[in-house]
Amino acid sequence: MSRSIRTAVLIVAGIIWLLPVYLLVINAAKSPADFTSKEAWLPNGFALFDNMADALSLSGLGDAVLSTLIYAVVSPIVAVLVGAAAGFAIVALRLKHGFAWFVVIFGGTVFPLQMVLIPLFDGYSRVGLFDTRFGMVLIYTAISVPFSAFVMRNFFSGIAHNVFEAAVVDGASTWRIFTRVYIPMAMSALVAIFILQATFVWNDLLLGLTLSQSDDVRPIVTTLSGMQSTYGGAQLSTVLAAGILVSLPTVVLFLFTQKFFAKGLALGQY
Amino acid sequence: MSRRDSTSYQWSARGFIAPGVILVAVLLYAPLLWTTYLSFTEYNGLGDPDWVGLANYGAMFADPEFFGSLGNTLLWVAGTLIVPVGLGLGLALLTFDLKGGIWLRLPFLIPYAISGIGVGLIWSFILQSDGALDQALALVGVVDPPRWLLDAPLNTVVMILASAWQGVGVNALLFTIGLQSIPKEPLEAARLDGARGARLFGSILWPMLRPLTAVVIGLSIVASLKTFDIVQGMTKGGPGRASETLALTMYKDTFVNSDYGLGSAIAVFLTIVTLVASVLYLRQQLSKKNEI
Repeated sequence: MSRSIRTAVLIVAGIIWLLPVYLLVINAAKSPADFTSKEAWLPNGFALFDNMADALSLSGLGDAVLSTLIYAVVSPIVAVLVGAAAGFAIVALRLKHGFAWFVVIFGGTVFPLQMVLIPLFDGYSRVGLFDTRFGMVLIYTAISVPFSAFVMRNFFSGIAHNVFEAAVVDGASTWRIFTRVYIPMAMSALVAIFILQATFVWNDLLLGLTLSQSDDVRPIVTTLSGMQSTYGGAQLSTVLAAGILVSLPTVVLFLFTQKFFAKGLALGQY
Repeated sequence: MSRRDSTSYQWSARGFIAPGVILVAVLLYAPLLWTTYLSFTEYNGLGDPDWVGLANYGAMFADPEFFGSLGNTLLWVAGTLIVPVGLGLGLALLTFDLKGGIWLRLPFLIPYAISGIGVGLIWSFILQSDGALDQALALVGVVDPPRWLLDAPLNTVVMILASAWQGVGVNALLFTIGLQSIPKEPLEAARLDGARGARLFGSILWPMLRPLTAVVIGLSIVASLKTFDIVQGMTKGGPGRASETLALTMYKDTFVNSDYGLGSAIAVFLTIVTLVASVLYLRQQLSKKNEI
């Protein structure tokens, strides 16, 4: 196919692909009074921000924003560093049986999340971590570690061992080599993992449903899921506005970092 | 580096790997073992679990709804392999080498950043009776549209398509990364020899993409077996239990019906299916690699 035909096909397909987003936005912008689901395709008024404000004040969505932000920032940062440390131990420090240890860590992603839900719920209740922000940060971190270790091990494999040896000759400690040499070199990969894991945490439903209860601990997506069953009819526009509000941060994050993110992962492959 | 040097960092290496191992062991592996144990017990979350042997597994297989749920889950696996992976590869090939390809891919990436619940919300709005899709169909003269979300297995099929709407962009991005990493020389050589289109794809691109395809397909199988969010967001497994997946059945049995033993048994079953699928797939993939 010639380039111009390909471009035309892609533009048409792209427009079709965005139709659901168009529907979401115009219907979320209808004020509850003007909302009628009979005219889904026609825009009618612009009450998007009012609807968002309603969504935030009703249903505890506002309370959920701060805690979700904490989960989606803190957990991936810790996980990325823990994963990088594991990769550093295996690749640069040549940990004995390093590959076996890598398999132990990476094996954590092979099992479905459903396998850990009940004991986490049960155990969290017993030790007082149920419905706490710390408990949520902890599990989101643990879940993000295997993927982070996977990418970082690959990434560090691509760095010549001379780099490590040169730093040793200069008299640097392993901690110093890790924080001053390896971490700075891996910035693009670290950010790529961070973005992926932050998106995952922000969008998580299952752990939020299982391990939290109160408005200020519940992650935002879990709150949205609850709203969907509580509201109906005329207030659908409010729920749709809440849907936009919840999705906006990850969409923006993704769009602004697309190039960077592709680069970080591509480096990680080799 | 001499043997002595490479072993002199072992203590420090253990310190670097310890946090990862401890987190994974305490929060993922220990619960995993506990769930396996619970699957052999009767437990409602209070008091102590009572050992009942294989009774939960018996109850699980005796329930006709379980097989409905299993069937839906397999439909999800098949659908996810065909639609989002296939379209993702197609999209990557279309944008490959195209000026402004990054912008042309953008519309497809937006849905990926929306949560499963958000996607479910949009699509239930579109697919509800007399919703946006039915209104559009009425314009072209379809007066009696299918009941998208109310009839099985149609509801599972449309949810797979909604999930494909979300997943195509990221698959395309992964395939694009793969395409970009293909060395330019063999590609140019093949082009000079007159290879175009399907021939170029079959003889150069596809074989070189195989390692990446293995990863994408493997991830898709594992992810589709665990399908939860979109179904919870669109039908809650209904009507009745017609569109439940194993992940949803497990969640309902455990946290709605407080039958932890049965929920654990379903989780164990789901895990075994996931592992078997991964191993079978990897083995097939590895044997293919040897043929090249």
